[in-house]
Amino acid sequence: MPHIALPEGFPGISGPMVYRPETAKPLNELAQALLRGHDTLTAAECELIATYVSSLNDCYYCQSIHGAIAAHHLKGNEQLVLDVKANYETAEISNKLRALLAVARKVWQGGKQVTPADIEKARQHGATDLDIHDTVLIAAAFCMYNRYVDGLATWQPRDTDFYRWRGAVVGEEGYLNLRREAIATHKAE
Amino acid sequence: MNPDMKPMYLPEVENNPQPCFQTDTIRLLQAKGAEYPQILHLFAFRPEATAHLTRFTREVMRGDAPLSAGFRELIAAYTSAKNSCPF
Repeated sequence: MPHIALPEGFPGISGPMVYRPETAKPLNELAQALLRGHDTLTAAECELIATYVSSLNDCYYCQSIHGAIAAHHLKGNEQLVLDVKANYETAEISNKLRALLAVARKVWQGGKQVTPADIEKARQHGATDLDIHDTVLIAAAFCMYNRYVDGLATWQPRDTDFYRWRGAVVGEEGYLNLRREAIATHKAE
Repeated sequence: MNPDMKPMYLPEVENNPQPCFQTDTIRLLQAKGAEYPQILHLFAFRPEATAHLTRFTREVMRGDAPLSAGFRELIAAYTSAKNSCPF
């Protein structure tokens, strides 16, 4: 049960976002800007970084929904998402993404844990400054989103099909349509 | 540049500020030879993402709510101290 009276039927972050739309709007716009990918970092890679950080923070909702969005971008490859969460060092991903996940892990431990060697390794595997910038901001932002979701003890359904379905919707439509999110929850019930 | 400031890990971030008020602030402080917080470079590099953070911060820190702005800043300062972030 949530620590405060949130609107019922809205899973995870959508509960407090419906409760406080003024802060929800820029948070969703930030997610949209960070997770839809750009020339050198794909949406799937961005979502995998978000999923991995959320799993480190033990946030069930965030790792489930972003894992499902990542799988949607990966043409349904849910196993790769599980592999990255279990051990990104052995998962079948590019060495660039592996190095960026190592940077993300350091950000999760604490910003000051990121070293010039971590950055250099990412560069050696082809990461641009923009890729590194976005990785650090995704990792930092998800430490915030994860704490927001669990700090209010939001309702987080355990139905895998719900995340699969909603992951496909968000994967296609993005993060900006809050009205659609409400409809999505209604259908899941 | 102020001699007390070290270069950032990401030179492309430091050297490519985009048009936004943070860039104006950087230019102003650089012209004075002042030491300034490099978070300004982070916000100036990719404003299409970070402008949302600025608006989020404005809403959560100054928006209409029962907690006073001063008390909200105190929560932010306390959390930053716990995270060993002096800025």
